[in-house]
Amino acid sequence: MGMGKDIFEITVNGLKLVVIFLMMVQMVPILVWLERRGSAFIQDRLGPNRVGPLGLMQLLADAVKFLTKENFVPDTAKPFLYYAAPVFALIPGAVAFSAIPMSSPIQVGTFEMFGSTWGPYTFLVQGYEIGVGIVFILGVSSLAAYTLLMAGWGSGNKYTLMGALRASAQTISYELALGLSIVGVIMLYGTFNLTEMTLAQQGPLSFTFLGNNVTASWLPNWGIFYQPLAAILFFSAAFAESNRLPFDLAEGESELVGGFHTEYGGFKFNMFFIGEYGHMMIASGLMVLFFFGGYTIPYVSVAELNEWAASVTSTAGKASALVALIHFLAFNVKFAFFMWVFIWVRWTLPRFRYDQLMDLGWKTMLPWALANTIITAFVIYIASL
Amino acid sequence: MTADAFLFWFLAFVTLASGLSVILMSNPIYSALCLAMTMVGISALFVTLNAFFIAGVQLIVYAGAVMVLFTMVIMLFDLKKDVQAFTKGKFTGAVKIASVGLLAGLVVGAIAMSVSLMGEKTTDNPVMVGTGMETTKALGNILFSKYIFGFEALGVLLLVIAVGAVALARSKGGTHEH
Amino acid sequence: MNTEFITNIGLTHYLVLAALLFVIGMAGVLVRRNVIVLLMSIELMLNSVNLTFVAFSKYLGILDGHIMVFFVMTIAAAEAAVGLALAVSIFKRFNEVNIRFFEHLKG
Repeated sequence: MGMGKDIFEITVNGLKLVVIFLMMVQMVPILVWLERRGSAFIQDRLGPNRVGPLGLMQLLADAVKFLTKENFVPDTAKPFLYYAAPVFALIPGAVAFSAIPMSSPIQVGTFEMFGSTWGPYTFLVQGYEIGVGIVFILGVSSLAAYTLLMAGWGSGNKYTLMGALRASAQTISYELALGLSIVGVIMLYGTFNLTEMTLAQQGPLSFTFLGNNVTASWLPNWGIFYQPLAAILFFSAAFAESNRLPFDLAEGESELVGGFHTEYGGFKFNMFFIGEYGHMMIASGLMVLFFFGGYTIPYVSVAELNEWAASVTSTAGKASALVALIHFLAFNVKFAFFMWVFIWVRWTLPRFRYDQLMDLGWKTMLPWALANTIITAFVIYIASL
Repeated sequence: MTADAFLFWFLAFVTLASGLSVILMSNPIYSALCLAMTMVGISALFVTLNAFFIAGVQLIVYAGAVMVLFTMVIMLFDLKKDVQAFTKGKFTGAVKIASVGLLAGLVVGAIAMSVSLMGEKTTDNPVMVGTGMETTKALGNILFSKYIFGFEALGVLLLVIAVGAVALARSKGGTHEH
Repeated sequence: MNTEFITNIGLTHYLVLAALLFVIGMAGVLVRRNVIVLLMSIELMLNSVNLTFVAFSKYLGILDGHIMVFFVMTIAAAEAAVGLALAVSIFKRFNEVNIRFFEHLKG
């Protein structure tokens, strides 16, 4: 877990954390643009297309507007909680997102700088690697419920309080289904470590069943082919966790104005927005990691890619950088697809009613997740006989 | 000062300060939020003790579920500042604090005296070092072999508790018809 | 000044920290009068005991302490559920959660 063995490694690792945080924050305006344009096309409109090419400068205009809005605090608010909540909204997303491996590690050989020899180093393309990655991510993102409660209660408004109670009850209910749905995945790969999970999914589909090797070369070795039910449950629970439609009861406009962030405007609202997108990013990232091969390329194993990279570049460092770049692109393609699905679903499905939401979480998804766990355990035991 | 020592002192400060705030804040909501902070601090202390899985479970169960439940219940009650947050009599209060202080002194003294009596043990047991996966596997093995009866008993307990909590929450209060 | 105590973190430090947390929780139980704060103080005491278990587990190199932490966590969660359900029914009855209202429970 250490930050590194000398000043160069510590600096790079520190910078990496900053870059990943900025990456997360900078993705938000692009996603907002995508969401507005996408919703417009789904609803047969044009969307923001006047400011700049394709309406892209609209993002800048939005940001300026957010920053220059009046800083307003309601009379009945508790100022400390009211101001703390938006800041806390960023933390779980940023901390959990840093633990997601986005590419294979980059090797840096020895080199001369400032009159001394440095290296060799191995830099991971993720904020930090944690042995029990999934447990850490689930734990950190479960803290998001406090943000909702702090915002809802701190605003001193009935609607915000109701919105916060709804949202946090929803979050902790769906956390169970979310956690149980990936138990099958954890049993399948036999690890909590996200990098090991990714590497287990490389190459074509192949597994051992009752002592026979089964290989299906037309399919990639992705988790979704082993755990389709878990994938569906996980993705649905992730929608509920990030309070997105069809589960955005927290901000049901017709009955609760804007939910827990009714009283927030300007930049404070923007921070809640970034937090919500952060949850979507974690959910998409985990979806890619568990069920769609992480950063690996379908059909091609990491060893084959390394071999190819070594044949076209001169040094091991350059080869690892090339492989990391390809993996990073592969990860981002898959990642972007799931971000798009989030937006797509939001503008396609209507909102649930609150009792339907709770019924779905407790009476449908939880039993199915449990059944999936038990069946997976039996199948793994039988297959290993 | 090494990074480990710094981390320990920082976390000790955070947990003690937020733990004290739990009992000193007269508004129960702030107490609950401070307790959540304490839980997060203790989880970080578990990480410094190489108990990664336990730290994660602490975050999920305590900070993420139990304390959220507390906070939600307090918010539902919509309590204002407690009218009588603290114990009534000044004298009895002082006696209580004094007895607690005495207990603290005794416990800390006992620890200080007894630690030197324990033999020097090494902590580089293969189970206890590493990145967490080995520890977690070993943990699962003994949980489902040596402690299987305790585990099953806890399952029964949780079922009873679930039924009991629902029964309590649905009842109108009291044992007689209203 | 002896800096050994500050720089060399061992079992003692964790035990003393856990003891202090336990005592804070106990003071909360004795001094506070809000039922929910009492429950929270009990949670604090249970947490400090968990810290002791994990510290001993690392010191002795055996995992049984971790198992105990699991059990304590489960029981604490169960206790919180029942305690909160009781608090809710008391609140429904008296519209207040101060323990001085429990005097009404005397026959």
